[in-house]
Amino acid sequence: MRKLTLTLSALFVLLISGFSQKTITGVVVGSGNSLPIPGVSVISGKAGAKTDASGRYSISVANDATQITFSAVGYSSQTVSIGSQTTFNIVLQQENIELREVVVTALGIARDKRSLGYASQNIKGDELANRGEVNIANALQGKVAGVNITSASGGAGSSVNINIRGISSFTGSNQPLFVIDGIPISNDVDRTNSGPNGTLGDNQPANRALDIDMNNVESINILKGPAAAALYGSRASAGALIITTKRGGNAKGKAEIIFNSNYSFQDVFGLPKVQNEYGQGAGGVFNPASNNSFGPRFGSAPSITNGLIIGGQPVQNYRAYPDNINEFFRQGTTAENNITLNTGDAVRNQTLSIGNVSQKGILYGTHLKRTDVRIGANAPLGERMKIGVSLTYTNTVQQGTLGGNNSGLATLLGLARNIDLTSYRVNGTWKNNTGNNNYLIAGVENPYFAQFENPLTSNLNRFIGHINVSYDLYKWLNISYRLGGDMYTDRRKQVFAITSGRVPLGNIREEMFFRNEINGDLIIRATRNNLFHTALSVTGLVGQNINQRKFQNIAVQADQLAANGFFNTTNGSVFTVGSAETSSLRRLVGYYGQVSFNYNNYAFLELTGRADQSSTLPVEKNTYFYPSANISLVFTDAFRIKSNLFSYGKIRASYAKVGRDADPYLLNNVFVNPGFGNNVASVGFPFGTVGGFGASSRLSDTIPLSPEFKTSYEAGINLQFFKNRVSLDVTYYNEKAESQILNLTVPPSSGFRTYTTNIGELTNKGIEITASATVIQTRNFTWDLSANFTKQKSMVVSIAPGVDNSAIPGSAFTGSIPSFKVGYPYGVIIGGLIPRAPDGQRLINPSTGTYQPTVAGGVLADPNPEYQFGVTNTLNYKGFSLGCTFDFTKGGQILSFTAASYKARGALDITAVDREQPHILPGVIADGTGKYRPNNIQISGQTYWSTGMGGLQSEFNVFDATVFHLRELTLGYNIPADIVKRSKLSAIRFGIFARNVFYVAPNSPIDPQLNTQGAGNIRGLDLQGTPNARSIGANLKITL
Amino acid sequence: MKKIPFFFLLLLTFTSCKKFLDVNTSPNNPPNVPVSTILPTTTIGLAFANSNDLNRATSALVQHIAGVANQTLAYDVYNLDGSFDNQWNGEIYGNTLNDLQIIIDQHGTTSPVYAGIAKLQMAYVYSIATDIWGEVPYSQAAQGTKFLFPRFDKQEDIYQGNAALGITSLFDLVKSGLLDLAKTPNAFTPGVDDLVYKGDLAKWARMGNTLLLKFAIHISNRNPTLATSTIASVIAGNNYINSNALDFEVPFSVTVGNQNAIYNFNNVNRPQDQMLSARLLALSRSLNDTIRLSKFFTKPLIPGGITGTPTFVAFDNGSAAAVPTLSIAVGQTQYYLRSKYGIHLTGAAEPLTSATPGGATPIRILTNAQVQFILAESALILGTPGVANTYYQAGITASMQKVGMTPVEIANYFATNPLVVTLAGTTEQQRQQIITQKYMSWIGNGIEAYNDYRRTGYPVLTLVNNPAGDNPNVIPTRLPYTITELSSNPNAPKPRPKTDVKLWFAK
Repeated sequence: MRKLTLTLSALFVLLISGFSQKTITGVVVGSGNSLPIPGVSVISGKAGAKTDASGRYSISVANDATQITFSAVGYSSQTVSIGSQTTFNIVLQQENIELREVVVTALGIARDKRSLGYASQNIKGDELANRGEVNIANALQGKVAGVNITSASGGAGSSVNINIRGISSFTGSNQPLFVIDGIPISNDVDRTNSGPNGTLGDNQPANRALDIDMNNVESINILKGPAAAALYGSRASAGALIITTKRGGNAKGKAEIIFNSNYSFQDVFGLPKVQNEYGQGAGGVFNPASNNSFGPRFGSAPSITNGLIIGGQPVQNYRAYPDNINEFFRQGTTAENNITLNTGDAVRNQTLSIGNVSQKGILYGTHLKRTDVRIGANAPLGERMKIGVSLTYTNTVQQGTLGGNNSGLATLLGLARNIDLTSYRVNGTWKNNTGNNNYLIAGVENPYFAQFENPLTSNLNRFIGHINVSYDLYKWLNISYRLGGDMYTDRRKQVFAITSGRVPLGNIREEMFFRNEINGDLIIRATRNNLFHTALSVTGLVGQNINQRKFQNIAVQADQLAANGFFNTTNGSVFTVGSAETSSLRRLVGYYGQVSFNYNNYAFLELTGRADQSSTLPVEKNTYFYPSANISLVFTDAFRIKSNLFSYGKIRASYAKVGRDADPYLLNNVFVNPGFGNNVASVGFPFGTVGGFGASSRLSDTIPLSPEFKTSYEAGINLQFFKNRVSLDVTYYNEKAESQILNLTVPPSSGFRTYTTNIGELTNKGIEITASATVIQTRNFTWDLSANFTKQKSMVVSIAPGVDNSAIPGSAFTGSIPSFKVGYPYGVIIGGLIPRAPDGQRLINPSTGTYQPTVAGGVLADPNPEYQFGVTNTLNYKGFSLGCTFDFTKGGQILSFTAASYKARGALDITAVDREQPHILPGVIADGTGKYRPNNIQISGQTYWSTGMGGLQSEFNVFDATVFHLRELTLGYNIPADIVKRSKLSAIRFGIFARNVFYVAPNSPIDPQLNTQGAGNIRGLDLQGTPNARSIGANLKITL
Repeated sequence: MKKIPFFFLLLLTFTSCKKFLDVNTSPNNPPNVPVSTILPTTTIGLAFANSNDLNRATSALVQHIAGVANQTLAYDVYNLDGSFDNQWNGEIYGNTLNDLQIIIDQHGTTSPVYAGIAKLQMAYVYSIATDIWGEVPYSQAAQGTKFLFPRFDKQEDIYQGNAALGITSLFDLVKSGLLDLAKTPNAFTPGVDDLVYKGDLAKWARMGNTLLLKFAIHISNRNPTLATSTIASVIAGNNYINSNALDFEVPFSVTVGNQNAIYNFNNVNRPQDQMLSARLLALSRSLNDTIRLSKFFTKPLIPGGITGTPTFVAFDNGSAAAVPTLSIAVGQTQYYLRSKYGIHLTGAAEPLTSATPGGATPIRILTNAQVQFILAESALILGTPGVANTYYQAGITASMQKVGMTPVEIANYFATNPLVVTLAGTTEQQRQQIITQKYMSWIGNGIEAYNDYRRTGYPVLTLVNNPAGDNPNVIPTRLPYTITELSSNPNAPKPRPKTDVKLWFAK
C-alpha cells in the first residue's frame, strides 16, 4: 500500500511537471533604498509579467523553466535559477542613480522619477544628519533649488522660515506641508505673548519640524509646485516635504545596530564691528547714565567740562572694553546621540531608534534638549496583506530669552564702549539683594538679568504614529488604509521678574498648547499592463481622505508680582490680563483620483482630480474640485538619440489647480474681550468686577466665502550627458493665486480693521535649476558637484477695489509694517521715507541741518532676493570624503534694528571716524523758490549718526541683503572594511564638520540672513534678536 | 484615540458627512453679548482715547509738558507724521465708536436708555476726532460692511449737520440721545455697568447738556447764532454739570490693567519720556499759581532725592540742552528727579519713586470748571445770560477745589492775586484771562487745552526750540491723518492736509 502510494505520487509529480506550469511570486526592490520597483519585466522563456505598484510579481512558468530574468530601465538585469523555490525576492542594483531614481511622491506613493511630469528634488537623510544642526529646516539650507530658508536667530531652537517657490497666499500659511511616511504633521509655531510687546522680539519658539530626528530620515522629497502636491490638496499648495523614515532591515536581511554621535561647539558670529575710541555720554561729555557712546575720547585728560571729573574725583576705568559685547555670549555646545537597531529584510522588518540632543545656547540661560524614541515594523500578514506601523515619541525642552524692545539684548546690542559687563556675570550681581534688576543705568535692563531672570521655557511631548494596512485584492488591485496621528502638548512658562525692562511689575505666564491631527487615507490602486497595446500600461488610483485638526491654547497670567524670586502664578495679584483660552477644530473630507499612462516607458501622462469638503467654509460652498495634469517624454528613448555624449533627455509640462479652504470660524462676526493700548500704556477687562465685550476688529463678509484657488503652469527639461555623469534639470513655473480668502485691511474708520473676503491676485514666476556632475571619477577618487539656482519673482497684481496695500497679519511696529502692495513683490515693508528733491537727493531741514521728517507710507524695504544659488562639492578619496556647501543670495533687503541701535548709539565702527569733526549730511535744501542748494549745514558727529542716519525705522537702516555663506564643511573617513571586520563591526565612519563657517555681506553690518519673526509671512526684519552662531564639531557613526 | 472607530465608521457611512463637518461655530468668541457688557468697553474706550497718545501729543503742543524722549520728543518738535494709528484705529473708531454703533443698532429699540447714553458718548468721541483732524469719517463711519470705505465729512457739516449729505449734526445727535434717555419701556437699564454714573440717568442728561455747551463754544467763531441759542437754552434748562461732584469722569484703579493711561505711561512704562514744560512753569509762576501746579506736577526733592528742598525741575520744549537726570538711587529705590505728572493726574503720592503705586485717578472728560469757563466766555462774547466774572471766578475755584487745594489756600490765592482772578480790560483781554485759566485747569487733558488754543489763540505760545515737522514755522493746528487710514481708504484726502492748515472752527 505504501509502495503504491509512493508510486502514484511520483507519477503524479511527473504528470504535473510534464504538463502543467508553476507560479513564482515575489517582490522586487531597489538596492539602496529598498523601495519596491514597479514595472520590472519578469521573463522566463515565453512567459512574461511585470511588477505591480508595490513591486510584486507573479509569473506562471513552465515547470521545466530554469531561469527568470528581471530587468528594468536604470537597473542591472538579474537572472536567477529556478530550483524548487517558488518565491524570489529580488534586489536590483541601480545602474545610475540619476537615471532611475525612485522617489516618494504625494500620498506616500513610490514613483520612478523618470515618469514624473513635475519638479521635485530628493535629499538623502545622510546629507542632513550629524552636522550639528538640530532643526531639519536649517539643515536643508543651500541644498534645494526654489526653497528659501531663513532662521529667526542663532538662539537654541529658534524658529526657521521655509518658503518653497516664494509666497503665494496673501495671509494664509506659506510654509510647506511636512509629511512623514504619508502622515501630515504640524510644523506650526506657537507663540507666547511676550508681555506688552506682543510677539515682537519674542524668543521665537521653534517651528515644530524641530522635533524631527534627522537620524531617522531616509530621504526627503521636496515637492515644489501644486502639480506635485495636487493629491494632498490645499495644505500642500505651498509645496510639501515628503519625509520617508528609515525602514528596519536591509537587502541582506542582516540585523544591524547603528550608532551615531556628534558633538559641536557654537560661537557667536556676525556681530557688527564696533569702535573703541569713544565712551559713554553725549556731546563729548561723559555721562554714566547714558546708553550711548558719544562721550569723550578715551585717553582724554579728565576735566569737569568733559565730565570725567565727578565730585572732584576722576572717573575710574574710562577705557574701551573692545569685547564687552561678544564676551556677553558663551560658547554653546550641542551633543547628539542616536542608536538604531534594525532587523529583518525588505519585507519583514523592525526598527528601534533612540535619539537625544542636548544643546547649550550661546546665550546664558538658554538650552534645548530633545529626546526621541521611535519604533517601527513592517510585516506581511498572510499572502496578500501587509501591515506597517510606526510610533515616535519626542520630548523637546527649550529655554530661551527675549529680544527686541526693552529686552536685555536691546541693552547689549550697541553697548557703550566703556561698560564692562563681566562683573555682573562673574559675581551674579545682575540683581540686587531684593532680587531686582541691577544695572548702572536706571530703568535699563541688565542683559544678564534678562538671561537669568526672564526665561521662557517650553516642554513639549509629542506622539507621531501611523498604521498602514495594505491588501492585494487581485494581483492588479491593491487596497490600503493609512491612519496617522500627530499629537502634542507644549507646556510653557514665561517669567518676567519684577523690574524687568518690559514688565516692570513682573509677570508669570503658564501656558499650554495642544495640537492634535488625525489623518486617514483610503487608497485603492490598480495597475494594468498591456492595455490595448503591449506598450501601454495604466495605473489608476482612487482615494478618500479624512483629516481633523484640533488646537487648544490655555493661559493663566499672573501680573503684579508680590515678591521677586518666587515664580509661581500664586505670586501674582492680577490674573485678568492675558489669561484666556482659545481652541479650534477643523475637519476635511477629500475624495481623489489619479490615472497615469505609461507608453513604452518613455512617454507619460498623468491626470489627477480631488474634491474636498471643508468644515471651515459656508455649507453651500464647502465642496470644491480641482484637477491637475502632467505629461513627460523621455525623448532620448522615444527618438533613439542616445549617445555617449548625450545620454538622457526628458521634457515635461504640468498644469495644476489647487483649492484651499479658510481658517476656522471666519464666517461670523463675534465679540472679544476688549483691550486698549499697547506696550506704552494699556487697559483691559474685566474692569474691577465689571466684565466687558467689544466687537472683534474682524468683519465677516456679507457674501459667503468661497474656496480660494491657485493655478500653476510648469515646464521643465532634464538632460544628462557623458554617460549620465553630468545632469541638468531646469524648471520654469508660473503660478497665479486668485480670489484668496483674506483678512483684508479695511479703513479703520469703518470701525473694524480687517474684513474676511475673497479678493486679490498674486502671481509668482520663477526658474529653478539643479545641476550635478561627477567632475572626476577614478578608481580611488571622485569629485561630485551639485548646484542649485533659484530666481523667483512675486507680484501683487491686485488686492481689492480702492485698496493699494494691506498689512501682513502678525506683529509689527507702526512705521515699518510688512505689507503687500499692488505692483510690488509680496512682503515689502512700508514705512516713512525722507522727502526728496526732484533729482532724488534727500531734503534737509534748513533750521537743523538734519533730514526733513519722513513721509509715511513709502516702501522702505523689499525682502525678496533677486536670485539665490547653492553649491555642494563632495570629494571622495578612498575612505575619505570632503564636503563643502556654500550659498549665495543676491539682493533683497533687511531692516535691521540691531544695526540701527549700534549706529544711533555711537557704537558702530564708522561712527568714530572723524567723530569730532563737523559733519554734513548728504542732501539738498529747498530755498523756497523751487530751487535746491546742496546742504552745507554742519552738525556734530553725534547728531549725524543718531538723528541724521539714526532712527530704528529709517531708510538708512535698510541694508542690501546680498550675502555669501560658506554654509557647511565636512570631512569624513570610513575606516577600511578589513580593519572594521577585525573588530567585528560592519562600518565605522568618523567625521568633522563646520556649519555657518563664515559669511560675506558686502553691504550689511550684520548677517542679513536673519528673520526675527521666524516662520511666517513677515520677512526682512531684524528686531534685536540673538545673533547667528557658528558651529564646529565632530561625528562618529558605528554600524554593528 | 477614541476617534479611531469613529473614523472607520465614517469610512463606511459617508452620509454622516454633513454632521461631521458642522463644527465651525467658534468656542472662543460669542456672536452676541448683553448690552451691559458693551457699555463699560465704550466708556473706558473714550477715557483711554482722551488720555493716551492724543493727550500726550496735544499736551506737548500746548506746552503743558516737554517731550524729552521717544515719541513724545518727536511730538514736542512737531514731528507728528506716521503717528496716531493706534488712537484712530483702536481707541476712536475701533473699540469705541463701532461698539457704540452696535449698542444703538442692536439694543436701541429694546433698551432706548442704552442708546441714549451711547449717543452722548458717540457725540463726545466724534468731537475728539473732528477737533483733532478736522474733516473725518462721521456719517458713514464705524458701521462695518455698510460703508467699508467711509466718506470724510467736513467739520462744519459734523457740527452743523448737512441734510443733503445725510449728516446729522453733533448737536442733534446729543439731543436725540437726551430724548432716548427718557424713553420707556427698557428691557435693560444700566447699573454697575455704567462706570461713571451707576445708572443715574439724570446725571447723563446733565452730561448731554454740558456737551451742548462745549460744542456751542467750539463753533462760536463760525456760527455765533447757533452757539448763542444753544447756550442760552442750556442755561435756561439749568440741567448741566454745575458742581464738581457731577463731573463726567471715568474711574480707574491701581490694579494692573485698570490703571489710568497717564499713570501707566508716565510711571510704569515710559517714565523717561516727558516732564514739566519750562514754559508752563514760567506761566504758573507769573500767576503765582504754583500750589495748583504742584498738584499737577511733582516737585522732586533735590538734591538727594529724599532729603532736599522740593523744587520744580522743568525743561524748555525742544531745547538741545541735556535733559535733567531721570532718577537717583537711594538704597534700592529710584527717586525721580524731574517734575513729572503729579498726584492729581496719576494718584501717585510724593516722593515719587519708580515703585510708587497709583493709577486710580479718574480721567476727567467734562468738568464743572470747564462749564464755568465756557459760560464766562459765552457771557463775554455772545452775551448769554450771567456775569462773565462770576463764572470766571467759579471756574478758578472749581479747578482749585478739584486738584485738592484747601479752602484756605484758595481763599489766600484770591486775596493775594486780585488782578489774576478778576476779569479786566478789553473783551479780548478778558477772553485771554478766561482761556488762560481754563488752560491751567486742563493740565493733563491736552485735547481740551489744544481746542481752546486753536479757537482763541490763548494762551500765547511761542514756537518750540528746533521745530520741525510739516511746517517748522507754526505750531501745528491739526494732527496728520494716520498711515493705515490714508493707505486703506480711497476716500481719504490725498495728499493729506499739512499740519499748518487750520480747522474750520479755528481762529
